[in-house]
Amino acid sequence: MVLKRKVFGMEGLRGKAFLHRCGRRLSLAQVAAGFCLILFWWAMVPAHAASFTASLDSDALTLGQSATLVLTFEGGTPQNTPEVPDIPGLQISYVGPTSQFSFINGRTSSTVTHHFTITPQRTGNFVIPALAAEVDGVRLTSQPLQLRVVQPSTASASQIDSGSQIAFMKLTIPEDKVYTGEIITANLEIYLRDDVRNFGNFQFTATPADGFTTGKMSEGQSRRVQIGNHVYTVMPVTMALTATRSGTLSLGPLTANLVLVIASQKRSNDAFMQQFRQFGFGNFGEEQKQISLATETVNVQSLPLPTANVPPNFNGAIGEYTLTVTAGPTNVAVGDPITVRIQIAGRGDLGSLTLPDQPAWHDFTLYPPTSKVATTDPLGLQGTKTFEQIVAPQNANVREVPPFSFSYFDPDAGSYRTLIEPGMALAVRSAGSTPVPTIAANPTAGPQSPVRSEDILPIKNDPGVLGQAGPPLVTRPVFLALQAVPVLAWLATVVWRRRADSLSNNPRLRRQRLVTRLIREGLNELRQSAAANQPDEFFATLFRLLQEQLGECLDLPATSITEAVIEERLAPLGAPEPVLSDLRELFQLCNQARYAPIRGSAELNSVVEQFEKAVGELLQLKA
Amino acid sequence: MKIGFDILRFLRPIERSGFRQKAGSCIFCKCGGLPTAATLAILMVGGNLLAADVTTDFTAANKLYAEGKFAAAAAAYETILQTGAVSPALWFNYGNAEFKLGQPGRAIAAYRRAELLAPRDDEVRANLDFVRNQVTGPTLRGSGWSRLAGGLGILTLNEWTTLAAVAFWLTFILLALRQMQPAWRPRLRRLTSGIVVLTILSCGALCAAATIHFSKPVAVVIETEATARSGPFAEAQDAFKAQSGAELPVLNRRDNWWQVADGSGRIGWLPAKQVEVLPGA
Repeated sequence: MVLKRKVFGMEGLRGKAFLHRCGRRLSLAQVAAGFCLILFWWAMVPAHAASFTASLDSDALTLGQSATLVLTFEGGTPQNTPEVPDIPGLQISYVGPTSQFSFINGRTSSTVTHHFTITPQRTGNFVIPALAAEVDGVRLTSQPLQLRVVQPSTASASQIDSGSQIAFMKLTIPEDKVYTGEIITANLEIYLRDDVRNFGNFQFTATPADGFTTGKMSEGQSRRVQIGNHVYTVMPVTMALTATRSGTLSLGPLTANLVLVIASQKRSNDAFMQQFRQFGFGNFGEEQKQISLATETVNVQSLPLPTANVPPNFNGAIGEYTLTVTAGPTNVAVGDPITVRIQIAGRGDLGSLTLPDQPAWHDFTLYPPTSKVATTDPLGLQGTKTFEQIVAPQNANVREVPPFSFSYFDPDAGSYRTLIEPGMALAVRSAGSTPVPTIAANPTAGPQSPVRSEDILPIKNDPGVLGQAGPPLVTRPVFLALQAVPVLAWLATVVWRRRADSLSNNPRLRRQRLVTRLIREGLNELRQSAAANQPDEFFATLFRLLQEQLGECLDLPATSITEAVIEERLAPLGAPEPVLSDLRELFQLCNQARYAPIRGSAELNSVVEQFEKAVGELLQLKA
Repeated sequence: MKIGFDILRFLRPIERSGFRQKAGSCIFCKCGGLPTAATLAILMVGGNLLAADVTTDFTAANKLYAEGKFAAAAAAYETILQTGAVSPALWFNYGNAEFKLGQPGRAIAAYRRAELLAPRDDEVRANLDFVRNQVTGPTLRGSGWSRLAGGLGILTLNEWTTLAAVAFWLTFILLALRQMQPAWRPRLRRLTSGIVVLTILSCGALCAAATIHFSKPVAVVIETEATARSGPFAEAQDAFKAQSGAELPVLNRRDNWWQVADGSGRIGWLPAKQVEVLPGA
């Protein structure tokens, strides 16, 4: 403790003098490390006790706007993400946490905030109750919050005509009468006064539609109109609506938020700034303003479809359409597929169009049709829907593709209409003469080459070569290990070749190996001769082996080896006397055998052992 | 963006599409390459019985298809595939049935599996192209990899492997022969050079094919419309939408989500249940 206190003293920072005064030999690095450690410990001590507060960035909203609820924890971190209870009329979604850690004047502070987005579903006054959270074992509670949500105000006709509104919206529906299921369009116009320099972040906040389903929206060409003393830019938006029931239907009020960039009310009187702005530098004198817009509610009367004169194959199509039917091929065998292409073009809900039942097609096998919609307007209300129906004649008596009929309700005329395409001649032969289907694709063409067939090719009748699912060969360990075999075989042949070449270039080594083999085989012959008590063969072999072994040791021809070699060549090389005497004795035994050939097997065996011993000693001597 | 990751790890489950020519070949290996005659006979009989069963089921599924009962036919083909038996015709017919059911995504996935087994089958390619032409929205377009894959697609990965292995073995057999019979070296020189070149080329092609197979997987959307999200969780923002049959290159995997690209620079995460991930080809 004494050392610590002195380190923080001013004189303690004066280096060696202090260290000497401490009476201890501490290096500067040790002092610095200790200083940092103490600072770190000090910093880790929380500056304040934990606190929990809740706040809203705005306590009054227009329906369609959102507020952010911020739960702030200072000096601690909650164990779990705090939960906000469900409040009827408010949609609350968790955005995420942020944390902040600060170190000021040696003191640390940490702040953790959790953000929630609150989107009102209706108008009214709401209370967000006190929220509780546990921080470091302490239960903390926030204060309750008030939120007021009001209906966005719609600009009155007098306000609009006076030009006092900086922006407003108008909603109109051209038709005042629709049929259930009919698609109509609604026109929304957004008016921006000429002092609006720019705008952005346009977002619908509510599109209430009672009895309508809304479809695509399309933005039109903007135009300028004079209202009162101001010029407004009008941006039209068209939206598709489908009446889903009969009765009075309503659309609106549509509400939207947008941010306007307008000239600032606090214009600078500084001449320099005005000059600066005149030269086009900066956006001085502008301010952004978020506003909410709302339209009036528009009502439309929806009528049910007439129940009289409904065509039998009417399946709910409403609009105005034309029909085209083609089929091919028209020369087929029984069971062969024929592609019937039905194109229904016009205005209406193309996406929901389905093919009506065709009772006249009883002689055909029908496969589920495929369809494709190609629209020509941004709302997807006009265009062509193409169905491809695969049919197969069931017998050879079929002579035509039957007529095709399609019925729809025309809302403009208020009546049903039926379109009929006449039948097409068809040549159907028996299945026995069915040609084998061929592929039109060029076999040399790549996979990207277009295929001009009109339907998928039929299924295969033969399952082909059946296999078992398994990993590719290249990933199988056994296969990979097998690839080492040729490499090892090649390496073996390389080693073999090296040894063979080495042997062929070294006659002494070759003779040494030859003699080693001769001695090994000769010893067997000696033992056999001894066992058979054949002294002549025994000693002849012994003499030959002595010649071969000594000849190899002395690098002399085997035929030139006699007992005299022992004294003349072997003794000068420093061979030990016991080896020399053994060899002498063996030579003498061979000579004596010519005169006294009769010996027993036991004696011959002892000669074999003596020879083995002599050979061993010779090899040791050579080594 | 880091996209390097252990692609092999998540490709293992989809390697079922690999093709093993003989049912008992792996067992042969386990027997140390010395199958007894009895083992061989049992395997052959077993294999024939299995093939007979599959052929019967296959014919029954074809009959359902011909009767227009595509859902039942697709289920029957799927049942056969679940037994582990595979063949290009099986995947092809399964793809046809799914297409007739209005499932272009599943059809494309099946045709691609058939193409992996039989890349030179014109009928598979024709149907695959036909269904691909009907897919709208983002999908895999011709890229450098796909063109390379197209060139290498004349052979399956196993065929490339076999070709490279044969060339490799021939090279070392010739080299060993040159060691054993030095007198033959002048006569074997040109043959050896040719085989070495063949080995290098085939091994290069194998490496490229394996790289595409293992590291360029493709996710085929099998839902009518799948929404790719900006993160691998359901609450993440929409990144883009893909229609059934869209083939999207896979970049990564996390839990039950696949990260895919739409070809125009947009990247998103799709739930695993909405896609079928296939090896690159």
